[in-house]
Amino acid sequence: MMCVWSHRPRLLHLGLFTAAYILGCGFAQSLAIVPGTGISIWPPSGLFIATLVLARRPSWPWWMLAGCLAEMFSNFLWFHSPVPAAFLIYTGNALEAAAGAWLVNGTLRRPVRLETLGEVLAFIVLGAGIAPIVSATVGSATLAWFGMQAQTFTGAWPLWWIGDATGVLIVAPLALVVFQNWCGTAQLSTARWIEACVLGLIFLGVAALSLSGYLPFAYIIMPPLLWAAVRFEFKGAAIALTLLALITAVFTISGASQFAGDPESQRDRQVMLQLFLAISAFSALIVAAISRQHQLALATLRRSERELSLLVDAVPVAIACLAPDGEPTFFNRRLIDLLGLNVTDLDKPGTSRRAADIASALHPDDAAGFAEALSHSLATGEPFFRKHRLRCANGEYRWVEGRIEPLLNQDGAVLQWYGVSIDIDDQMRLYSDVAEREAKIRRLVDSDIIGIVIWDLDGRLLEANDAFLRMVQYEREDLQAGLRWFDMTPPEWQEVHTRNEAEELRTTGKMQAREKEFFRKNGSRVPVLIGAACFEGQSRQGVAYILDLTERKRAEAAQMRAEEALRRAQDKLARASQAASLSELTASIAHEVNQPLAAIVANSHACGRWLSAEPPNVERAKITAGRIIRDANSAAEVISQIRARFRQSVEARTGTTLSSVIAEARNLMAEEAAQHRICINIDIENDLPLVAFDHDQIQQVLVNLIRNGMEAMASAAGSRALEVRVRRKGDAVQTEISDCGRGVETPDKIFEPFFTTKEHGRGMGLTISRSIVESHGGRLWAEKHEPYGATFIFTLPVEVKTTS
Amino acid sequence: MTMDDHIVFIVDDDARIREALSELLASHDMRAIAFGSAGDYISADKPDLPACLVLDVELPDINGLDLQRQIAEGDHPPIVFLTGHGDIPSSVRAIKRGAVDFLTKPFSDTDLMTAIRTAIAQDQEKRSERAELRVLRLRYLGLTPREREVLPLVVSGLLNKQAAAELGISEVTLQIHRRNVMQKMAAASLADLVRIAERLEIPIRHSRRAEGS
Repeated sequence: MMCVWSHRPRLLHLGLFTAAYILGCGFAQSLAIVPGTGISIWPPSGLFIATLVLARRPSWPWWMLAGCLAEMFSNFLWFHSPVPAAFLIYTGNALEAAAGAWLVNGTLRRPVRLETLGEVLAFIVLGAGIAPIVSATVGSATLAWFGMQAQTFTGAWPLWWIGDATGVLIVAPLALVVFQNWCGTAQLSTARWIEACVLGLIFLGVAALSLSGYLPFAYIIMPPLLWAAVRFEFKGAAIALTLLALITAVFTISGASQFAGDPESQRDRQVMLQLFLAISAFSALIVAAISRQHQLALATLRRSERELSLLVDAVPVAIACLAPDGEPTFFNRRLIDLLGLNVTDLDKPGTSRRAADIASALHPDDAAGFAEALSHSLATGEPFFRKHRLRCANGEYRWVEGRIEPLLNQDGAVLQWYGVSIDIDDQMRLYSDVAEREAKIRRLVDSDIIGIVIWDLDGRLLEANDAFLRMVQYEREDLQAGLRWFDMTPPEWQEVHTRNEAEELRTTGKMQAREKEFFRKNGSRVPVLIGAACFEGQSRQGVAYILDLTERKRAEAAQMRAEEALRRAQDKLARASQAASLSELTASIAHEVNQPLAAIVANSHACGRWLSAEPPNVERAKITAGRIIRDANSAAEVISQIRARFRQSVEARTGTTLSSVIAEARNLMAEEAAQHRICINIDIENDLPLVAFDHDQIQQVLVNLIRNGMEAMASAAGSRALEVRVRRKGDAVQTEISDCGRGVETPDKIFEPFFTTKEHGRGMGLTISRSIVESHGGRLWAEKHEPYGATFIFTLPVEVKTTS
Repeated sequence: MTMDDHIVFIVDDDARIREALSELLASHDMRAIAFGSAGDYISADKPDLPACLVLDVELPDINGLDLQRQIAEGDHPPIVFLTGHGDIPSSVRAIKRGAVDFLTKPFSDTDLMTAIRTAIAQDQEKRSERAELRVLRLRYLGLTPREREVLPLVVSGLLNKQAAAELGISEVTLQIHRRNVMQKMAAASLADLVRIAERLEIPIRHSRRAEGS
């Protein structure tokens, strides 16, 4: 009960409903002109069904109550039936409305708008055909039971049914329109309003004409009625039907219409009237529904067309339509923007659109192939697919992927070609960039100059090129089996590897190139230079570059060995040249002087012969004499060079100490001394003053004296020790070289040139040594060494410090 | 001695010496060709004349004494050695191997020219001997096989009878062969034929003494 109460419609609505119901009853009463029947068009049935169709079901009791009150009131005013009969009749009407609404609501989509033909037909059949059966049955039974107006059940039933049906057909649409557009504002243009007014006038005029004469004339109203239905659809039909019903009623009541007549024929005319109204309503509603449906379809089509057109222009693809012969007929917005021209721009005299399109829009290199492929597709009907370059509006060429597909009819003939061009320029650029880069990388990896390895931070080698595998002599299968850096790292590198290198990679993303070693598969070691870097954005993996240093290391070692050998050879050479004895020196000097002398002698003889010849050959003699002079000068030059060599040169005097020169001389003679099993003892006084001397010359003197001493001892028995003593004596530093040999028999002669006691000597050594020492401002002499042997002594003056 | 019937080869690395020697030889009206090294001398195209080789001991490419040993096998001209500082052992060695002289620079005009003239004379003699031998060999090649069998028997002093018995031929036949041999070998007498056989080094296999015993 509470439920029903809470669904009470607004009182205003209930009131209006009640008023309209009573009005409908009045209208029916006024039309019930058939004597003795009281049955006529029953508008409340339409109102009731329309109301219940739109109302929610819980509120139905309220409407039924209102309807009951209205009908009882109308009965009180006009029908004057007994209250039980009136109530029964009302019950029939309420049942009819409930059944109709129930059937309509159950069949049609809510809210009921009657916009399609199906809906209208369903409404007509269910609401106007089936529902009135209930009220007609109940009402006719009631009339017959109460014996009112002398009606039989069968006599009253058809009238009752058709009256209710007509009421539903005429009033229900109007009611639906009124209910649903109660608050809506009509949105009609001025032209429509004018059309509506003109139509209304025509309708009224035709109605006035048609309803005032012969029965079939009444149907002249049909064209305006259908016009209203077509142009204004359901609303127009509803209003026109209402007007028609009212006009018909007015004319019939006033007796001016063909439906009014004498009482005998009144019953048939009443049926005719109701049929006329029912047919009109039926036709108008059907036409309105068809019109509505058509309009809806048109609107839908327009909308989808607009959407399609928007879609075609919005898709990021250039679209073209071609006629079956390949002539372009349509370009979409994107294609127009891309090419900077529309289909119509291709119309040029003397050439087809297709040729003009190919000529203006394609890259010259692609045009021929494109035209050929297109011709092939057009001839065979096969789809066309090609990548080519299109010339853009700005003159640039862009790569596009072009597809042209045929639209076929049922016979398989081409109706139209649809072409799309997808811009793949960026893709193509990207592809070519990527391909180029890939090729570069591939070249780098395959170049086999350096080893390249892709690794991950777990220390696994994921990929390696042949150069690397060759370097470490592993196979590709080892790599696939999960080779790790750690396995290849010698123990002393392992800690560095696991700690420093991994850390460096983690923090900086790369590993500076460094030299290290790896184990080869066979356990031998390979020295390498390795650098690595993580891949950007994917720090778990990276690349390493490895250079085999074996050859370089070998070359370095070889170079070091060669350098060492060279150094030793140089040392040896230096020692040999420094140790060259003065006798060898003299031999070479002799040779240098002897050659020009020999030439001079020979030339002199020749010269003499030329002059003493008969007659004397003076020319040849002159030439020969010239040669004599030249060769003599050459000999003199040799002599002066030798002089220059032993001349005291201040510049050449070095700051070397005497003790270091002595040490050098001892080292130079060490080998010879060892051969002769002679020991050289050196005794140098501390704090010797500086002496100025020519390093090479004094070394020569020392070597000469030491060798003399050693040679003296070589043939003698007894002690084999050579003493070298250096001490200060006044303003000079004195160096003594003592041997234990045979001694010097003729101390005065030994310094003379060419005096020698040796088997192979030339007698120059001591002479030159003395001249060297004397050129330094010192003296060289020999003394007897006790108990045997000789001592050679030379002095060098202490340097006088003139400047400091 | 004229310019055309001899030649002197000089090998010395010192251009001054080469020049002076050539000049000296020219003043003595002698022809000379000078070479800077032993290699140049060996590879040079040399005229086929009586010659003398004046060779410096101290050469840049090879020691003169070694060169002497190398060319000893062939027909090479006699050598006069020059040296800057001669020592006795090498001079002895050089002379033993057939050097004409071993002179120390500077050398005297007379010593050198004497040595060169001696050398050329030696070469001339050697050459004429070689030419004579060549003629004898040609003549010997002209003998028939039987005559070649007869020759050693005749020069070994066998009597005709003995020689004929040796070869199993008649004495008369042998005499014919003997006369032919004398003729072909251009021997004036048996003594001459014996000398020729000696020069040709024809072995003597028989002797009358051996036969007699």
